[in-house]
Amino acid sequence: MSSITADHVPASQGHDDHAHAMPHGWRRWLFATNHKDIGTMYLIFSLFMLFEGGTLALLLRTELFEPGLQFFQPELFNQFTTMHGLIMIFGAIMPAFVGFANWMVPLQIGASDMAFARMNNFSFWLLPVGAILFTASFFVPGGANAAGWTMYAPLSLQMGIGMDFAIFGVHVLGASSIMGAINIIVTILNMRAPGLTMMKMSLFCWCWLITAYLLIAVMPVLAAAVTMLLTDRHFGTTFFNAAGGGDPVLFQHVFWFFGHPEVYIMILPAFGIVSAIVPAFARKRLFGYSSMVYAVAAIAILSFLVWAHHMFSTGMPVTGQLYFMYATMLISIPTGVKIFNWVATMWRGSLTFETPMLFAIGFIFVFTIGGFTGLIVAVAPIDIAVHDTYYVVAHFHYVLVAGSLFALFGGAYYWLPKWTGRMYDERLGKWHFWMTMISFNVTFFPMHFLGLAGMPRRYADYAAQFTDFHQVATIGAFWFGLSQLLFIYVVLKAYSGRGEIAPAKPWEGAEGLEWTVPSPAPFHTFVTPPTVK
Amino acid sequence: MTPEQRRRNRNTGLILAAIVIAILAWSFVRGSAILTS
Repeated sequence: MSSITADHVPASQGHDDHAHAMPHGWRRWLFATNHKDIGTMYLIFSLFMLFEGGTLALLLRTELFEPGLQFFQPELFNQFTTMHGLIMIFGAIMPAFVGFANWMVPLQIGASDMAFARMNNFSFWLLPVGAILFTASFFVPGGANAAGWTMYAPLSLQMGIGMDFAIFGVHVLGASSIMGAINIIVTILNMRAPGLTMMKMSLFCWCWLITAYLLIAVMPVLAAAVTMLLTDRHFGTTFFNAAGGGDPVLFQHVFWFFGHPEVYIMILPAFGIVSAIVPAFARKRLFGYSSMVYAVAAIAILSFLVWAHHMFSTGMPVTGQLYFMYATMLISIPTGVKIFNWVATMWRGSLTFETPMLFAIGFIFVFTIGGFTGLIVAVAPIDIAVHDTYYVVAHFHYVLVAGSLFALFGGAYYWLPKWTGRMYDERLGKWHFWMTMISFNVTFFPMHFLGLAGMPRRYADYAAQFTDFHQVATIGAFWFGLSQLLFIYVVLKAYSGRGEIAPAKPWEGAEGLEWTVPSPAPFHTFVTPPTVK
Repeated sequence: MTPEQRRRNRNTGLILAAIVIAILAWSFVRGSAILTS
């Protein structure tokens, strides 16, 4: 990124000089149009959903501590696995990144707010509706969706009303994502401060811009897929029903045309956060800014071309397998560019290891392991052997927990002083990182071995030979879950005004317009746009 | 936000919304076409 200096930032960024006073009480939140308030609501919501999804994960791990059925029947176990996935993806990770975008994109581009403030409010308030649909589905006859988060036909055609709840939940959360994406694109394209050209923009904004394009391209495809499921279930169509001339494999194609870019929707904003943190704590400019931008764009484009690598075991022609195998491997090139650039940024930097930097380095290290196992399962013959085993579970948790979640934690610690006006407790932050890092690996590393040994995913029971690794994973999972309570404590401590008062720019090496406004960021910022040189 | 900026935002938003609707419709049309072919 080019060095950004604002030649005019008004001395008073307070709201007193603005036409609208800050609303108070419940109206402030229910009718919120301020990007910071909406960002905060997104982040709080996603934290709740993280704990709901996490609780489901711990229930799964409890059942899997020993072979045999201890606590839950397989039907309920399958509901837990399915809803854990749906809640984590659509309720926790995606809204958390939108929360970051709401808070940081206007601040980083010198805009007073998001382009469509009322639509922003509507995007947020759709989330609780989706969350209620997901959660309430456990209590309807037949229970929640148990077909896996992928909702594959024909199983999903045969389930009870819980599947309809899941379909409507996905519709609602998808609509929220689409509106959020439109808002972010328009804000970035049209509302940048004078002088802030695209190639001067922060990597976080770039990553979110490209993510938002991905969202508007693939969320309608998911909406179409689940709508076709719905019409198959209730209105006599047979898109995915072989008995009526349909094809269940068609669902997989449509789903994964959404599903693979979805993986990048959950990781590209994480790249943006890490690209903000690493230069700040290396006290160096980001190495290869423009190559980072092109790499993100390349990853996004390639993500549309590789969907059927999730379907090697469906019996596709060898030429198809070859194409999807090599196309998938290609993604490692731009991803490698990013990893190289982060490491090169740190090279000979004046490094310090505050909590955000620890999470960023943890991200680079552990996400790379997830990337490598991704390359391994990209190889069709290997994938056919480990398909639907714990190897795949280990792979995608290395990408989505050590990738997305670590970046979210890093970003939260990095910008918490700007959000709360207080420095977080550094000692507890470091404890949180190390507990999270170690327990994460204790939980998920053994799953590679389980998968290679043939342990299938989504099973409530298993052969006794898998017991040891399952027990290690369960102990790690509880350790991981309890470690997150530390995060809650650190955040609440900062929000409750305990801790050192944060200056406008608490990190010596940080760059960007967000550090030119006071901490905490006033209700209204950049009412007069700054000029960027 | 200036009226000009508001107008640009609205136009960009409408274009993006049209793209979303087109992709949604395309998904249905392709889904049906694959089955009938």
